[in-house]
Amino acid sequence: MLVLAFDTATEAASVALVRDGDVLGERASRAVRVLADAEELLREAGLERSAVEGIVVGTGPGSYTGLRMGLVTARALSLSLGVPVAGIPTLAALAAGLPGAVPVLDGRRREVFTLAGPTPVCLPAADLRVEPGRTYVGDGAVRYREPIEAAGGVVPPDGASEHVPWARHHAALAREFGPAEAAEPIYLRAPDAERALSR
Amino acid sequence: MILGIETSCDETAVALVEGGRVRSNVVASQAELHARYGGVVPEVASRRHLELVAPVLAEALEQADASLDDVEAVAVTRGPGLVGALLVGLSAAKALAWSRRLPLVPVDHLHGHVAALYLEPEPLDPPFLCLLASGGHTLLLDVQDRAGHRVVGTTLDDAAGEAFDKGARLLGLGYPGGAALDRAARDGDPTAYRFPVARVPGLDFSFSGLKTALLYAVRELPADELEGRRADLAASYQRAIVRALVERTEAAAESLGAPRIAVVGGVAANSELREALAHATLAPLPLCTDNAAMIASAGRFAPRLPFPEYLALDAYATAA
Ligand SMILES: [Zn+2]
Repeated sequence: MLVLAFDTATEAASVALVRDGDVLGERASRAVRVLADAEELLREAGLERSAVEGIVVGTGPGSYTGLRMGLVTARALSLSLGVPVAGIPTLAALAAGLPGAVPVLDGRRREVFTLAGPTPVCLPAADLRVEPGRTYVGDGAVRYREPIEAAGGVVPPDGASEHVPWARHHAALAREFGPAEAAEPIYLRAPDAERALSR
Repeated sequence: MILGIETSCDETAVALVEGGRVRSNVVASQAELHARYGGVVPEVASRRHLELVAPVLAEALEQADASLDDVEAVAVTRGPGLVGALLVGLSAAKALAWSRRLPLVPVDHLHGHVAALYLEPEPLDPPFLCLLASGGHTLLLDVQDRAGHRVVGTTLDDAAGEAFDKGARLLGLGYPGGAALDRAARDGDPTAYRFPVARVPGLDFSFSGLKTALLYAVRELPADELEGRRADLAASYQRAIVRALVERTEAAAESLGAPRIAVVGGVAANSELREALAHATLAPLPLCTDNAAMIASAGRFAPRLPFPEYLALDAYATAA
């Protein structure tokens, strides 16, 4: 199965073209140019977009706007190409990049997104429990390198590849493909206006 | 057939236009969703756009009895508007165009409003002077051809539609309040109150002083009298807004020597404005408020970006 995978939920966006587990191509991207990069990957592989049989998309959490751009792209491609979609949480793909590592994404406002077991959660950066000797990856780990390292955690160097939720991992984790709308965004936070109302 | 997509504010809209004919024009309004916040909340709007784009697209295709195979170009609002909201529609448009190697037409939202006038059954021919009045804009546009326009006047503060909404809220008529205020005004005396309209130089508008005047008038009333004076206040307030719009529009038409006046935007639904500008061309009501048929219509006249030039295209929040 030829799969086009992409994740635009964080600034470290990426696109990959994967066939039955073989990574035909992959590159770092940005939410606004994810299709430009997909086009280049297909051209380099000598393939037409009509050859794509499935879409795998990162479902966050991350930046709301980037996340939505990826999901709406997946939905429109699914409708147009008539192919199914699988959604993979960005945190799961990030964790898959370095087995045993804890994925931590920067949620801004002094909050981080991480996994509690298999469940994505949003918590104050100060409440992140650090296990001595364990490795922490993602833009949140980079941002809070100091407290993590002070608590005995390990953070790969800034700019290290381990901090990117590479789309090849989304493709590898994808098992069930289905209707595009089933790949829902993981926001983890209500809009501010919503929270203001319920206060 | 041109597919149009519009998500610049709180309407998720998709339409199909063939020549100047509207084959379908589906608008999923989020007005009710935002009413509880008393205004459009960008993050709430963007979340809803994501949920609605695909179903609204499917509905538009079905109503037009068409498929994506019939589409020759995708037109989409690129700005101005709420960037997060715009990017939902723009990303969808890029994906649709890319997957079918179609050209993409980035459309300016304001050009879209004007292009509502180029649709059948009575397409308007430039030149004309266009008043665009909505919740987001109050503009006087000199239109010489179908490819664009020149701004000759704008609001220095609130948009006319915003003035209606704020007035309605002060009068306890809810949000969005344009239609409610219009209804309330029907039973009132437009000369009961004197609301001043700021005289600003040139062809620009200013509505913020008017809103303040209404606020004071409401405050001066004992609470139990507001009910009884609401219709008079609404009628007087509406009269002031409509006067300002009509005077400036007519002055602009005269100074530019425009042979015709046209009115677009949600405020064109206001009954007093329609009466006061009876000689003007008014876009049909469903094409006045934000919709995608107007975007597809503009897509016939704006420059097309051939595949693959649009693949990294971004949205813009405000006009350059
Ligand atoms: Zn508009």
